[in-house]
Amino acid sequence: MSGPDDPVDELLRELAPQVLATLVRRHGQLDACEDATQEALLAAVTQWPKEGVPTRPRAWLLTVARRSLIDHWRSDSARRQREERAAEADTPLVPSDIDEQPPDRDDTLALLFMCCHPDLSPSAQVALTLRAVGGLTTREIAAAYFVPEATMAKRITRAKQGIVQSGARFDLPPAEGIADRLDVVLSVLYLIFNEGYTATSGPELHRVDLTSEAIRLVRLLHRLMPADGEVTGLLALMLLTDARRPARTNPDGSLVPLEDQDRSRWDVAAIREGLTLLADTLGRFPVGQYQVQAAIAAVHDEAPTADATDWPQILALYDTLERIAPSPMVTLSRAVALANVRGPRAGLALLGTLDRDDSAVRSHRLDAVRGHLLERAGDLALARDAYLRAARATESLPEQRYLQLRASRLRTDRRE
Amino acid sequence: MKYMIMMFGGAGASMEGRSPEWISGMHALMMGLDAQLRESGELVDSRKLADPTQAKTVRFVDSKAAPTDGPFAEIKESLAGYWIIEATEERALEVAAQCVDYIEYPMEVRPIMDEQPPPS
Repeated sequence: MSGPDDPVDELLRELAPQVLATLVRRHGQLDACEDATQEALLAAVTQWPKEGVPTRPRAWLLTVARRSLIDHWRSDSARRQREERAAEADTPLVPSDIDEQPPDRDDTLALLFMCCHPDLSPSAQVALTLRAVGGLTTREIAAAYFVPEATMAKRITRAKQGIVQSGARFDLPPAEGIADRLDVVLSVLYLIFNEGYTATSGPELHRVDLTSEAIRLVRLLHRLMPADGEVTGLLALMLLTDARRPARTNPDGSLVPLEDQDRSRWDVAAIREGLTLLADTLGRFPVGQYQVQAAIAAVHDEAPTADATDWPQILALYDTLERIAPSPMVTLSRAVALANVRGPRAGLALLGTLDRDDSAVRSHRLDAVRGHLLERAGDLALARDAYLRAARATESLPEQRYLQLRASRLRTDRRE
Repeated sequence: MKYMIMMFGGAGASMEGRSPEWISGMHALMMGLDAQLRESGELVDSRKLADPTQAKTVRFVDSKAAPTDGPFAEIKESLAGYWIIEATEERALEVAAQCVDYIEYPMEVRPIMDEQPPPS
C-alpha cells in the first residue's frame, strides 16, 4: 500500500476491519476470512487507482472477499460439497445494498477483542491486531518489526491457531469481564505505539510508521467506546507524546533529550487535540494510568521552555501514578521530577531505593538517569561511569550512541 | 558473492577516552556507510550486537549444557556487529578499510557459503 496520506489507502484501512468482521460474523473461520480480506484489499489497491473508487466500496470489497473465500473452499477437497452448498445458499455475488451499510459497530470491536485475546502472547496479539484490524500486509508488519516476512507469517498463523484453541467466540466479552479485556487491548495498542516511538534508527524502506498506526487504531477504538476514560486517556497520551517527534531526533538520527528540544518544532495541532481530549475526561471518569500519563505529557507540552516546566505539578502527578499503577519505571520517572523540585541529591536518594529492588529495575535506564543526576550534582567521574554502564546495557542503538556521547563529554583523560 | 564484514570490541572498549567529536564522527561514518550500502542495493543485512558484557555463553559442564555470563572470546575480540553485502571481495575490503582507517581496530571480511549446490 502507498503512503498514509493516499485517500485510497485511508479508505481501505478504514474498511478492512469492517469487511473482515462481517465475514467472520457470518462464516466463522478467522483464518480463511482474513486471507480473503487481504486478497480483496490487494485487488482494490491495484484496481481502484486505475478505474476509480467504486460507488459502494465496502460492498465491492465484500463481494471480492466472498469470491475468494469460495475459491478457497472449492480448492479444499475435503470440504468441497458441504461448503459449496452453504456458500451458494447465502452468498450473493453482486454487491448488495445491505453490504454497503456499515456493520454493527460492535463487529469491529469484537474483532479487536479477539485479536487481543489474553491467551495469546503480546507479540502474537500485536501481529494479529496490525494485520486484521490495521489491514497491514504481513510484509509491512515484518518490515516494521525488522524480522523476515516468513517469520511474521508464522507468527500470525500461530496466533490464529491460538485463537481457535482458546475457543474464543466472535463476540464482545461479557460486561463483568470487559474492563480486564480492555486493559489488554490498550496495552497492545500502547506496545505498538512505543515500538514505533523508540525505533528511530535509519531510513527503512517500506517501513510502516507504527506510531501513526497505533494512533489510528486508538482513534478507531475511541469512536467505538467514546465513554471510556482510559481509551480517551491513551489517545491523548499518544498525541501529546507524538507531538514532540519532529524535535526528538537530529537530521542524522541521533536523539535529542526533552530539555534540549526545539519546542517551536512541536506539532501544535496534535498538542491542542490531546489537551482537548484530556480536558474532556477530567472529573468524568475514574482516574486511570493513561489519563495521568497524558496529564504529565501535557504539562511538558505546555511549558514554553524547559526551564519553565511546572515540575511540582509533574511530581504530584507521578505521586498519583505511583499510587494507582506502581512500577519501578514510575519510581524512576518520579526521581527525575523530585530532582527538579528538590535538587539532584533528593532524586539520587530515591534512585537508591531501587537498588535494593532486585527485579527488572536493574535496567540501563536506572544508570542513565543516575548519570544525569550525578552530572547535575557535580560528581562527574561517577556520572561518567554510570553513563558508560548504561551504554553497555542498552539494546537501543540510538540510545547507546547518545549515552556514549554524554560520557565522552565528561572524560577526564584527554586523548585526541 | 556475499561477504560478511565483521566489527569487534565492546561499545566502551574502542572509545575509552575519545572526544565527543571523535565519537560523533564515528557514528556519522557508520550511519553514512550503512545508508550508502542500502541505497546502492548492496546491503543484504546489517546488525549491531548488544555489548559483549550482555552476552551469555552456553558451555558443556558436568555432562550437560550450562549457561554462564559473558562472551566466549575476550571482549575486544568479541563480535560487535556486521554487514552482509552482495559485492566483489574488492568492494567488501574497501568498505572495511574505510572503517578501519577511522576506528583503528581490525575488521574481518569473509565470504558466506552458498546454500545452493554448484551447477553440475
